[in-house]
Amino acid sequence: MFTNAFLSGLTMGGTYALVAMGLTLQYGVSRIMNLAYGEFVIAACFAALILFTSMGISPLLALLVVAPAGFAVSWLIYRILLTPLVRRAPNRGALEVDSILATFGMLFIVQGIMLALFGGDYSSYSYFNTPVELLGTTIAANRLIVLAVALAVALAAWSFLMHTRSGTAMRAVAVDPVAAGLVAIDVRWAAAAAFALGGAIAATGGVLVSMFLTFNANIGVVFTMKALIVVIMGGVGNIAGALAAGLILGLAESFVATYVDPGLTIAVTYAIFLAVLLLRPNGLFGARAR
Amino acid sequence: MTERTALSVRSLSVAYGRHQALRDIAIDAHRGEIVAVLGSNGAGKSSLLKALAGLVATAKGARVTLAGAELSTLRPHEIVEAGLSLVPEGRGLFGDLTVAENLELGAFARRARAGEADRLAKVLAMFPRLAERRSQVARTMSGGEQQMLAIGRALMSSPDFVLLDEPSLGLAPVVTQQLFATLRRVADEGIGILLVEQNTRASLKIADRGYLIENGRVVGGGTAADLRADPAVQRAYLGLNTANQNEI
Repeated sequence: MFTNAFLSGLTMGGTYALVAMGLTLQYGVSRIMNLAYGEFVIAACFAALILFTSMGISPLLALLVVAPAGFAVSWLIYRILLTPLVRRAPNRGALEVDSILATFGMLFIVQGIMLALFGGDYSSYSYFNTPVELLGTTIAANRLIVLAVALAVALAAWSFLMHTRSGTAMRAVAVDPVAAGLVAIDVRWAAAAAFALGGAIAATGGVLVSMFLTFNANIGVVFTMKALIVVIMGGVGNIAGALAAGLILGLAESFVATYVDPGLTIAVTYAIFLAVLLLRPNGLFGARAR
Repeated sequence: MTERTALSVRSLSVAYGRHQALRDIAIDAHRGEIVAVLGSNGAGKSSLLKALAGLVATAKGARVTLAGAELSTLRPHEIVEAGLSLVPEGRGLFGDLTVAENLELGAFARRARAGEADRLAKVLAMFPRLAERRSQVARTMSGGEQQMLAIGRALMSSPDFVLLDEPSLGLAPVVTQQLFATLRRVADEGIGILLVEQNTRASLKIADRGYLIENGRVVGGGTAADLRADPAVQRAYLGLNTANQNEI
């Protein structure tokens, strides 16, 4: 029972970590508090569902289409919808407030489109839903695939941010946008790129989630909330922090569901969140862009 | 000191709302020389550097050219690419990043990619303390070390001109002395320096020329020797004002 709880906690946690990483990029670098973030995760779920059920394209192949599409759509949203807000905002605080209002509206538009297209029913599909023996327990193969892909993508994003010039530029913008301009970083470009990269990561998370969870057009807000909690726990803009906090949250939920009561998972999420806010308001690891 | 490498500022005005910070500024600087910009608090010295670096908007009609290229319409990162690098007041370091990462970011400009390793070696030779502290987080260093890092980072962009806003602020006199000696060496390597300072005495010692700014206007200027000998300058900046008597 322990191994099972541990493995499904890791899978859930890996997904949380990945999804939160996208949000921490959008919020930490671009200063856009994207309340519609979870809707993009769910939109990617539906994209994977359609590609799988109507064309027989496996979700792993679908990633190659859906993730770039998430990048492109987010780039366009940033250039068309958000850039006017960025230009008129006198400071980052004002931009945060404006972006909350704008993306709150976007949440209902995206959700409305999905409701019109797919209705409010729960959907799922079965991909690699075969039991595998591992460490003396049985687990669905798709969960292991999700865990592997989530960690691989998260590590790839992390090494891009830590070890490339463009990634370093994004971290520099998160730390101090004025100083970033003074070292020849195009701050507007970096903000747009970080927002788009966040969208690509949200789409990747959505495809992975669709492989093992049932979803409907209304549950985007759950992912926005969970991602936000992980971002704040890990420290805003802190990539490694989001990874660690995501895994912690997934494991905690899984163990509470296994050993205490499945109905308490949401309660434990918010209990951990409250404890972090009270004891370490800057996040478990502080708001360092590393 | 050819016209090709000169920084030329004409008709530069800056307003914050209804407050006119700078009016019709005209100054020149050349590579290899240190030009001090002197003036009391609030005279507009910092606004001048911020306007040149693209951090504040200039009024229409301003002409800022570097080697003949117009800078006044460019954004901050494009101005660094053109060869002008600002070390802002308060240094503008990435406090949470290490010394090495700050220097690496200093070479982010495309113009700085070629010869980056050589330039890093040169900067570390110029500021040996930075070599000792390469993996230290910038925010945890002393004020003098942070100022050295800020200047080193600006030099990493392979600039034609470096603009320095109050580099001696908060530094002990002996540290200021070392810092200014290094600035002289930077200029001797052919980089132009525009130095905004309240420490008039120290800056006129290393400067080649200077401008006086009062209430947002250029009210005087000349060689550093002339300015040191000018009774008005002595009265206003070198004399009674004990706050500026950081003798070095």
